[in-house]
Amino acid sequence: MVDQSRWRRGAGLTAAALIGLAALTACGSGGSDDDGTLKMVVWGGDLDKETYQARIDLLEEANPDIKVELQLIPSDQYAQKVQTMIAGGDGPDIMQVAENVNSYSSKSQLVPLDEYIESSGLDMDQRFGPAGSLYTYEEQTYAIPDRSGAMILYYNKDLFDAAGLEYPTAEWTQEDAQAAMEKLTIPGEKWGYGGAGWWPQWWSFAYQNGGQIIDDSGRPTVNSPEVVQALQWANDLAHVDHVVPTAAEYADMGPDMGGDPAFAAQTVAMNTTGFWAIGGLKDVDFNWGIAPLWGGQEQAVSAFGSGLAITRDAEDPAKAFEAIDFLTDAEAQTVIIDKAQDVPANLEVQQSDAFLTPAWAPEGLEMNAFGESADFIFRAPFIPEWNEMQAAFSDSLGEFWNDGGDAQAELDAIQTQLDSIIQ
Amino acid sequence: MTNAVDAPGAVRSARRAGRRAPRRKASRRARKEAMYFWLFISPWLIGFLGFLLGPMIASVYISLTEWDSFTPPEFVGFANYTKALTEDPVFWKALSNTFYYALVSVPLGLVIGVWLANLLNKRVRGRKLFRTFIYLPTLVPLVATAMVFKMVLAPSGPLNELLGWFGVQGPDWLLDATWIKPALVVLSAWGAGGATVLLLSAMNGIPRELYEAAEIDGASPWRQFWSVTFPQITPVIFFNLIMGLIGAFQIFSQVYILTVATGSVGGPNNASQMMVTLLFREAFSFYHFGYASAIAWLLFLVILAFTLIAFRTARNWVFYETEVR
Repeated sequence: MVDQSRWRRGAGLTAAALIGLAALTACGSGGSDDDGTLKMVVWGGDLDKETYQARIDLLEEANPDIKVELQLIPSDQYAQKVQTMIAGGDGPDIMQVAENVNSYSSKSQLVPLDEYIESSGLDMDQRFGPAGSLYTYEEQTYAIPDRSGAMILYYNKDLFDAAGLEYPTAEWTQEDAQAAMEKLTIPGEKWGYGGAGWWPQWWSFAYQNGGQIIDDSGRPTVNSPEVVQALQWANDLAHVDHVVPTAAEYADMGPDMGGDPAFAAQTVAMNTTGFWAIGGLKDVDFNWGIAPLWGGQEQAVSAFGSGLAITRDAEDPAKAFEAIDFLTDAEAQTVIIDKAQDVPANLEVQQSDAFLTPAWAPEGLEMNAFGESADFIFRAPFIPEWNEMQAAFSDSLGEFWNDGGDAQAELDAIQTQLDSIIQ
Repeated sequence: MTNAVDAPGAVRSARRAGRRAPRRKASRRARKEAMYFWLFISPWLIGFLGFLLGPMIASVYISLTEWDSFTPPEFVGFANYTKALTEDPVFWKALSNTFYYALVSVPLGLVIGVWLANLLNKRVRGRKLFRTFIYLPTLVPLVATAMVFKMVLAPSGPLNELLGWFGVQGPDWLLDATWIKPALVVLSAWGAGGATVLLLSAMNGIPRELYEAAEIDGASPWRQFWSVTFPQITPVIFFNLIMGLIGAFQIFSQVYILTVATGSVGGPNNASQMMVTLLFREAFSFYHFGYASAIAWLLFLVILAFTLIAFRTARNWVFYETEVR
């Protein structure tokens, strides 16, 4: 005996549950329009959006059958948004990838590109040089380099002149650099160098010493003497030699202060960072220049860049590849430098006048610093556990960078952690 | 949250009504009323079932698997829970940090809130202006507040300068593993104005006669506060306590904004790593959704336990006028 009101209540609940389920499934099957438009996701800000769109306009003009819908995601939400898209079965056709590319490729979320590269006749080595193999994982290529520039040394020419110092060159050693930092430092007021607490900076020193973060067999080697010495040097510059502002001194300069803004404020005389800092220095009222990073026992420097990959959700990977091929070819890559967005990965463009003497650059800016650095860029270990590896470093080194300390002890601990993180 | 509390109650009372008159045929009016009930409850019900209950049940399952969000989940039983409780030192650190934060910031926020409300309840000149000032910090977006705090808490910033006048050498608040949690507590106290407004309205609702009677009996202002004001506002204090506990255990944005620029959220050395920041990192940075879901459920149990404790002990100190016989 089911009484009516109870039945009604049951029916009500069932209906509600069904509606709930329907809402859920509707989310899951979110439709992609089948008109063949390629969805491309990239990260960045307004300049990035403008630059990518200009390149896509060129692409669509040259290939009337290709339509690309560009979606720009703020950098700090990019990984999370794309992850959600892919997990929901609605991944983009083309996505921008960088250091953590292999967290996708190792989980077969990206389409291996080798057969497309072969059939299109694209010569990776000729177009990109050593960067061409940057996005390979287990012998397969997963992304085509798109933007790729070495970390370079920015220096304040006025402060160098005042100290009577020669401008830095690629021939400088770590000792030369430290000697210059000491001469440029005015205690409590100006510092010689902006610091090397970020991985591209101190890892460069480790590779200059002949060390490696991950060795060729894929195991971590972060407590080797070469790496320890590099980290100790990088940190001692702040806490022992006082030629780099300490974290506390930076915090006193303002919120979110670091090498880039401090260089623009003439508080530090040298700074190592990527291409993007040029944009912030266009309007400063002092003379500055750029040079390749100094070397150690050997020359080594990290590079910043990103590539374009095709996800497994792409309906027409061949067409998506055609688009990427065009976007990384000379014509579309020239836009990257014309708009002062970044260093194009295409070598032909890197050697062109458009790159070496851009209209927007201050007169005489040594743009060939990027080309010169290209010869000794070390290959950073883009392991699938990249984010976890970075967290292991930043978690453990927080106090070390802030207060100084013993690099050997810290790296021994990190080595143990990495041994368990890296499968 | 209020919804989640109301709903079971509503269902329970409906069930009771059903039992009382099992065989009587529902009248026209009752049927119509039922229809309206379902009509008006449906937006919430659909939202709850589709966007809350569904994902909640799914996350129970996910917490028993190893899932990177891309490839199919792999069932591992309680491995994620044992990993959190026995193997992962960061989990315990995050848990104790969260306890520290919740158990210091919530009582402190309440004490400050009651104190401010009591001051503002006095008849002083410019009372309305003071009320506005005290509520203002609650209206400032967190990002802006955090920016200002980074300057205030800088090693040679205004706060340490102030401490210096008293001969105290202030710490490098945000850079020091020992001091970053107190810094977060200070940031939370900044928002005490929200509770103040609620407490103030509760104080305004206390009948004047009670104070008059107390005064005639010769009660000092101190005694008046503890014997009249305080018991009367305990329900609001209790409400703020529960909400504050739940909010404090779920602290995320403050930690994220204050530490993201250093490259490690929850730094230095995980000293400000909280349950939710850890959960977020495991899920969206490390692709360990199973483990992150397990952390979420462990956090749920912690919050549940504290809420239950608060409700159990409430009988001893929360005063409801309607319950007086």
